[in-house]
Amino acid sequence: MLIRQYLALLLLRAAARAMWRLVKGAAVVAVIVAAAPVSAVAAGAALTAWACGWPPRRLYGAALWCLPMPAVWLAASGLGTPGGPGGPAWYRVAGAPYQAWLDMWRLGASGHVAAAAVGIAPVAIPAGLLIGGLTWAVRIYQMETGAGGLSPTSAISFDRRQWQRQVRSARARIAAPGSVPLTYRNGSVVVGGTIRAVRHRATPITALPYDRLRSHQVVIGTTGTGKTTLLLRLWAGFMATALSRQAAGTGRRPLLVVLDCKGGADSRRIADRARRVLRDAGARATAIWPDDANLSLWDLPPGRLTTTLLDLIEHGRGAAAYYADVMEAIVALAVQAPPGPPASSADFLARLDADWLAAAYAAGDAETLAALRSGAHLIPDVALRFRSLWRRLGTGFEPAGSFADADAWYCILEGTAETSVAEAQARALVDMLAGYISGPGRDADVLLAVDEFSAVSRRVPIWALYERARSLGLAVQVSAQSWPGLAADEDERYRIAATAEGGIWLLRTPYPDPVVGLAGTRRYVDSTRRLMGSPPVTASPTAAGQMWAVPFMAAPFSAARWSGEGSSQVRLMPVLDPDIVRGLGVGQAAYVHQGGVTYVQVKRLVAAPAALPRAAARQAAAPAPPHPAAASAPATGGPAPGIPGPGVPAPGVPAPRRPMADVSAFLDEAFGPAAGPRRSGSGTGRPQSGPADRETRTLDRERP
Amino acid sequence: MTVRERPSGPASAGPRGLGDRDIGAMLFTAEMYGLQLDLLAAVLGGTVPRARAAVARWRRFGYADAGRLGPGPSWVWLTRAGLAACGVRYAPIPPALSRLAHIRAVSTVRLALAATAGYQQAGAFWRGERRLRARAGTRAGLREHLPDGEVHWPDGAPVPWAGECWAIEAELTRKTVTRTTAIMRELLGRTGDYGCPAADAAVPGRPPRHARALYVCSAAARPTVLRAREALGPLAARLEVRDLPPQASLSARTDAGRDGTPPDGPVGEGLSPQGPALDGSPPDGRERAC
Repeated sequence: MLIRQYLALLLLRAAARAMWRLVKGAAVVAVIVAAAPVSAVAAGAALTAWACGWPPRRLYGAALWCLPMPAVWLAASGLGTPGGPGGPAWYRVAGAPYQAWLDMWRLGASGHVAAAAVGIAPVAIPAGLLIGGLTWAVRIYQMETGAGGLSPTSAISFDRRQWQRQVRSARARIAAPGSVPLTYRNGSVVVGGTIRAVRHRATPITALPYDRLRSHQVVIGTTGTGKTTLLLRLWAGFMATALSRQAAGTGRRPLLVVLDCKGGADSRRIADRARRVLRDAGARATAIWPDDANLSLWDLPPGRLTTTLLDLIEHGRGAAAYYADVMEAIVALAVQAPPGPPASSADFLARLDADWLAAAYAAGDAETLAALRSGAHLIPDVALRFRSLWRRLGTGFEPAGSFADADAWYCILEGTAETSVAEAQARALVDMLAGYISGPGRDADVLLAVDEFSAVSRRVPIWALYERARSLGLAVQVSAQSWPGLAADEDERYRIAATAEGGIWLLRTPYPDPVVGLAGTRRYVDSTRRLMGSPPVTASPTAAGQMWAVPFMAAPFSAARWSGEGSSQVRLMPVLDPDIVRGLGVGQAAYVHQGGVTYVQVKRLVAAPAALPRAAARQAAAPAPPHPAAASAPATGGPAPGIPGPGVPAPGVPAPRRPMADVSAFLDEAFGPAAGPRRSGSGTGRPQSGPADRETRTLDRERP
Repeated sequence: MTVRERPSGPASAGPRGLGDRDIGAMLFTAEMYGLQLDLLAAVLGGTVPRARAAVARWRRFGYADAGRLGPGPSWVWLTRAGLAACGVRYAPIPPALSRLAHIRAVSTVRLALAATAGYQQAGAFWRGERRLRARAGTRAGLREHLPDGEVHWPDGAPVPWAGECWAIEAELTRKTVTRTTAIMRELLGRTGDYGCPAADAAVPGRPPRHARALYVCSAAARPTVLRAREALGPLAARLEVRDLPPQASLSARTDAGRDGTPPDGPVGEGLSPQGPALDGSPPDGRERAC
């Protein structure tokens, strides 16, 4: 009897529960049918967001943009004759949605479906978009917390498919011509389409404020992942924005210096591409060192020049320190000789001669002469070492050339083939850039981009470069193919990555874990539910990002079903998903900044045509004939009269060029005598100031 | 001057009835945007009444239009049919009022150069800003500065500077020294032709396009130009500064042409009837490659 009553109770409970579900479902269906237009729009919006991988925020934004439509519609409904049919205006406005709903059904019943849809659209579209967004947000929340889905693997599949849809949408977004500009009007640099944002604002297009590019950044990505495309876009954006700011009077002249420490043909291809991209971004000139242009080491101040020259030579330790001191003394004597600093390597090598130094310091003090006498026997050895050095370094540091000659410098260092030479070049280039920036009147926004600097960082530790750059106010962008390629040891790597205020760019790399740790964690709700129809194992689906990474672990539970029981708790998970980073496609990057990450599909820049056709390139590679216009090489710094001149021509010293013809007589015939100061001869050097010019300057000062 | 003129005919009949000087003057006018009658007289090697008669002929063919745009003699410019007859694809618009003074100054500079014996013997040719702009088209960068003209000295010409290309700038108003210096640097640092691939425009290490730059400036602009030249450093050796001829001033010519006399000074002097540079194109029809 008792059992029968218990079974009846169970039956009644089941029947009541089924009835309740039936009523609830009927009510929901009734509401959906009654609000059919809103339901249709909401379903369409949610399905579109699901299919395109949109965040709910996008549907909310669409609903907001539609608000003018119901506002105008309501205003039109309220217009009418006061006291006329329908009551006062406020009453007509309040009743307009209801009237529209009635009209829709009436028109629909009479077969006028289009008219019914148009009539209800001002209400149905914004409301539907809003409801669709809320529905989509609830769905995402359920899947992320593990509270939704029919099976334990649902969340994994959901996230994997959403990622694929988000990638497809981002690619489509940036594929349209003109859809992604290089920069925005506010100066932000556009990188590409947003795939997914975690603790960053999810905008369809990812754009970086200009200030981020003026801070240190780190870029890590293996070969073939789109690192060069990303770097070119960042450089072009920096150049375009800086030039715009300069033109508007709110910024300084931009200067981009790229140190490509790999070398080889690949670096030269990238250099040519960079030149074309930067030209399109507004850069007037992009110099490729040392292939196309020189950077004169000899323009450094004498003190700094001495230090740099000494750093170019490798010194031993212990007993060799004695020779280092002697070398320092001899180099200082040669550089700081009374005739002035040397003008070229040939000039410098000619000075490393006992007779030359004795003649130059003939009128010097006793201490200098004593130093000269004591080190005279080592001067030939020092000269030999520097002669070997210049032979290996080539002509890249010969006159004339300065960082002021171009908006961008792409410096190719043969760090792979000739490591010791590249190390010396890197050392000298960094010194020269520091000397250029700290010079008077050289106010510039400098971005120093170094690629694989660890290959040449034995003489310039990269952290020292960072600190030096910080003190000089220039931004450093360090890129490497992997985490170990960032610096020589782990401390340096962490120091570099931790001080990247401009953010870290991570492309596909097999070892993202250090950056994952630096990116931080975020809290999420971890829901645990019991399974039915399988062994009593509790599955704990973590947040979606982690779940799809372990599909094989979840596979045994795929046949099981959730029960209605479980628990939730707050846990921490990495902001940056290492498995996503390991699986990034070509052109996809994760941008880590301020505890958040944005996954971006980088938009490739299409550059202008190639610099030269192949035939012309071969012709350019051949020694160029002297051009009469190139006679503007500075004639300063040569040996003074009475001082023996360079006896040994250094390799690569430019050949003497034909002096420019004097056109004064021709121009006098056409226009009369010259305006202002007359020069002794065209092409012979800097013009001399004359009385007329001094008068001009006086007049200028008198003017307000 | 030989003018074979038909008594009547449709405007689309082509350049029939026009002499060599007419054609040369039309090309000159086309390249300079427009020309005042006194300068046209200098181009034609005659007087202002003869220039006026030439303009009347051009107008009869529908090749030119004329009007008094500002102070001084009337301006002449080519119509669409005239530009088409000259074989150039410029926009058929009258000279802009804001540029009248500058156009006159550049025309005066060109005439002054063309009047010299060295220019004529060398067979130098002029490429005006209008031609450079048309050549560059949309590839001219926003920051790119075009010179007012280029003078090309053919290789083998009997002048020591044969083979050079000069950039010509006519400066009437004062800019800032910084801006002027930047323009000078750009002119002297350019390596590629106008309209060439962007990456070739300024490539350090390659021979510069302009062997030298010639600034012909007014008294007002001269101090700025001189100070900018001082700031150039070694590049100043390739920069020449001269004064504009007196005829270059727009206001100075208010009474010019009324008496039918050609202008004084270098403008009207020494122009060869067969001046090699008046057509504004290289003698062999080729242009310097990029």
